[in-house]
Amino acid sequence: MREKTLCTIVTFLTPTDAMAFECFAGQHDLPGRLIPVPSAVSAGCGICWCAPHEEAGALGALKAANTLAIEAIYTLLI
Amino acid sequence: MNHEREIMPTIRIDAMGEPCPQPVVKTTRALQDMREGDVLEVHVDNETAVENLLRLADNRNIPARSKKVAERHYLVAMQCTVPHEKEEETETAPAAGRGDLVVAVTGRTMGTGSDELGEMLLKGFFFALTQLEPLPKVILLYNGGAFMSAEGSPVLDDLKQLEARGVDILTCGTCLEFFALKDKLAVGSVTNMYSIVTTLAEAMTVISP
Repeated sequence: MREKTLCTIVTFLTPTDAMAFECFAGQHDLPGRLIPVPSAVSAGCGICWCAPHEEAGALGALKAANTLAIEAIYTLLI
Repeated sequence: MNHEREIMPTIRIDAMGEPCPQPVVKTTRALQDMREGDVLEVHVDNETAVENLLRLADNRNIPARSKKVAERHYLVAMQCTVPHEKEEETETAPAAGRGDLVVAVTGRTMGTGSDELGEMLLKGFFFALTQLEPLPKVILLYNGGAFMSAEGSPVLDDLKQLEARGVDILTCGTCLEFFALKDKLAVGSVTNMYSIVTTLAEAMTVISP
């Protein structure tokens, strides 16, 4: 059985926003990846950024900066 | 006392210089006429052909071994046991649910319309595959799909995880060669058209993103 890990999920309003975030993350060495939005999270465009839970603080700061069209941030076991 | 039977050649196939999948096709034909205990020697000139032949033997429960004879000369020896044992098992085996799922990935994108969107969707597809229970039996990668198992692939970690959990990751050798990826295969093994068709034909369900 696959072991689940605690992750920080970042949702976006549009797939374009999600792709833009992936580009941003690549440029700034932010760990994580795009994944389909887990069924436990109903919000968002369908694609979200999934990062290790340790990144929650950094991702929260990015949302607060309000420059990357982040819709919401969740903590989930995936 | 040594119980290991000495392997003596009874049938020899020279497939040197034959393009994929001819060595496998010739071998398959030869196996049909073989009796238990017969030995088949196949001579080929590349490692991909060796892998394909060993896979063919494994699929049919035929003991096989290979050795490098010289530069660009390999020998695969098969000793015929009970012919087509696995095929008979397959025909009589009860339905096994999604355990017989085969995933065929044919390109670098999922769907058509926008390559950028398609690449992102495909990454999501592979992640979702890792979450699937039960997992697919085989993932076939051909044409642009061959990039998925090569160095630099954005889904390499997913494929490695799937392989570690028992999923066969098979990439088309012709495709790897065409895209100059032959030396960059980073997960799974190489397959050929003969094996691809057999895998697709025997699958209970095939999905293609």
